[in-house]
Amino acid sequence: MLKVQNLTKKFSNVVAVSNISFEVLPGRIFGLLGPNGAGKTTTIRMILNIIKPTEGTILFRGKKTGYSFQNLVGYLPEERGLYRKSRVIDVLRYFGELKGLSKSRALEEALRWLRRLDIEIYQARRIEELSKGNQQKIQFITAVIHDPEVLILDEPFSGFDPINQEMVKEIISELVAREKLVLLSTHQMEVAEDLCSNIFLINDGQEVLSGPLSEVKKNFGTDIYRLEFEGDPSLLRSIELAEVIHLNGGSAEVRLKQNALPHEFLKCAVDKLRVSHFSEVEPTLNKIFLQSIKQKSKSSIQGS
Amino acid sequence: MKKIMKIALFEFMEKIKTRAFLIFMIVFPLIIIAISIVPSMLIDTSEDTTHPVGVLDFTGDYTQGLIRQLNEFKFPNGEPNYIVINLYSKDKSKDEMTKFADRLVMEGNIEGYIMVQPKGQDSLSVSYRNRSLGNFNDVPRFEKVFNNVYAAERLRRHGFDPSVINRLISNVQLNPVKIGQPGIQKEMSPEMIYFSSVIFLMLLFMMILFSGGLLIRSVVEEKSNRIMEILLSSCTPDELLTGKILGLGMLGLFQILVWAIIALALLGGHYIPMEIFHEIGLSMLYFVLGYLFYTAIFVGVGSVVTTEQEAQHFTGYLSIVLILPLVISLKVIQSPDILLVRILSFIPFTSPPIMLLRIKVMTPPVWEIILSTLILIFSIYLTIIITSKIFRIGILSYGKRPTMKELAVWLKEK
Repeated sequence: MLKVQNLTKKFSNVVAVSNISFEVLPGRIFGLLGPNGAGKTTTIRMILNIIKPTEGTILFRGKKTGYSFQNLVGYLPEERGLYRKSRVIDVLRYFGELKGLSKSRALEEALRWLRRLDIEIYQARRIEELSKGNQQKIQFITAVIHDPEVLILDEPFSGFDPINQEMVKEIISELVAREKLVLLSTHQMEVAEDLCSNIFLINDGQEVLSGPLSEVKKNFGTDIYRLEFEGDPSLLRSIELAEVIHLNGGSAEVRLKQNALPHEFLKCAVDKLRVSHFSEVEPTLNKIFLQSIKQKSKSSIQGS
Repeated sequence: MKKIMKIALFEFMEKIKTRAFLIFMIVFPLIIIAISIVPSMLIDTSEDTTHPVGVLDFTGDYTQGLIRQLNEFKFPNGEPNYIVINLYSKDKSKDEMTKFADRLVMEGNIEGYIMVQPKGQDSLSVSYRNRSLGNFNDVPRFEKVFNNVYAAERLRRHGFDPSVINRLISNVQLNPVKIGQPGIQKEMSPEMIYFSSVIFLMLLFMMILFSGGLLIRSVVEEKSNRIMEILLSSCTPDELLTGKILGLGMLGLFQILVWAIIALALLGGHYIPMEIFHEIGLSMLYFVLGYLFYTAIFVGVGSVVTTEQEAQHFTGYLSIVLILPLVISLKVIQSPDILLVRILSFIPFTSPPIMLLRIKVMTPPVWEIILSTLILIFSIYLTIIITSKIFRIGILSYGKRPTMKELAVWLKEK
């Protein structure tokens, strides 16, 4: 496992990352989430040993990640780029060999991945001659060519069409199934919700929320309920315990007021309407994300 | 270490495949060949054929002497250098004779003519009249010949015996001989010395600018498209830096090898003078050190600049520093041990080119060679340390170029 402890990075006058800790476990995807500029990339760079943390440690299998860790990690950076003038196969072999593969292994793996992603016909082409989507595939191969123990993906799906997104997802889940560590960084909450089982939400360099996704959702709680009914919608509005936030024919979403209990509300509703369905609406990650960040910044304003 | 070699090899292979490199490798020797062969071919053709030259002597005293002495100039193959024609005729006026002689020159019948006119009581006016200003060799030769004839004539008037006169005015030729080590001598014409020293300077100059340009562009590219991050997640900045410098060094060696083969081929045809290989070991030492020094600087700067334009500006500035030795090269060859030249031999920016020149002309004192080499090696070491610090941070800074103050902070970081 990969353990990040009390990680802090200060640049001359900015604190980019402040005292964060988390753990990436095998067999599940870890989501490092946050808005742009939250400190995600800085955190990743520290894990990759590209920059040194001001404070804190990063442990992989109990040992500090030194330069030997470099051969064990694969990285797909957010901003993509490759040697435009070079041939596909040369670039793949180079990155493979830089990750410690032997000459022949690097070639073998490069060809295997090109086949797997259906782009083997381009192996002798220059990178710049490839379409954007295919360049993305090449870039993805550079991250996985050496079968890394730890895979770090920064916005892995940007630039892929839905078909290729599926292909990449499939490869990622294969790696997860093989007990590899996968850290995925994104600001697209739908992606994270879909893939990650553990999340860490970061904003302004600080932890906002973390934990298994299901727990996070549970803890976040909800005061929003969905109701399906027959009858006059205006009667629904007359119930004082809740506020209707969304109404569409016979279906509505309501937010309970403070201290109101769901069963009290339901009782009132049943009195006035024919209720056919009543359920708690699970918050989307997006909602949690937005709301937590709002709260956090509110409290920090109050605090200061 | 393994990774360093991989980086070096990749850099080398990728650069060698670029069109720019191929063009450079072929075009540069062509330029050198053009510079070296064309002038020598031009001189050769004009020197190997016999020229008709006229003598128009209004005094009548020197005609015979001039004709006799000019006829003595022979090519190595025994052919005469000049066919001398007496243009004086008693029937014509002075004006007519001059006009006739001028016409012969203008029409290309003769190369030119020596005109001797009495001037005042006891003086002469002598001129060599021709279309161009005259060949390097001809004018001083004619001057010498005339002075001999003139002196002989005057001595004769004073009653000297002709055999005595000949002995009195016999000339001694001065041969330039360069002493490398005591007892070992080498004859060299000044043109040859100049050419054989400057060729290395130009080689160094072109190679630094060309491969430095390549290097800076590759770093800028890697920064701008973030390949740098993948690289740095696979190797340390120092490995990357060393690999790049090594790769470029290999590229330089490859270039030299190719050029050397071309040079040797041309040597077989006697197009390139053997003198180029004089003190080749010492030359190579300065060449390699100079190359390394400038390459290290280029890498450091490459990591700081963020756009291609900035890179070009920088290359421009550096070429000014590099061109200085070329500008003063003539002075260095003429007086290789004046104070300024000796000072420049110790400054790492100028010592490789200046020393390359000095070595060819006059082997500098051993202590100067050792000291300047040590300074150079130390500077390379220092540059690489500074560069690697700047590189480590510079390669990750995008957008705006760091200020001097920020650079100073980087240098202090561990």
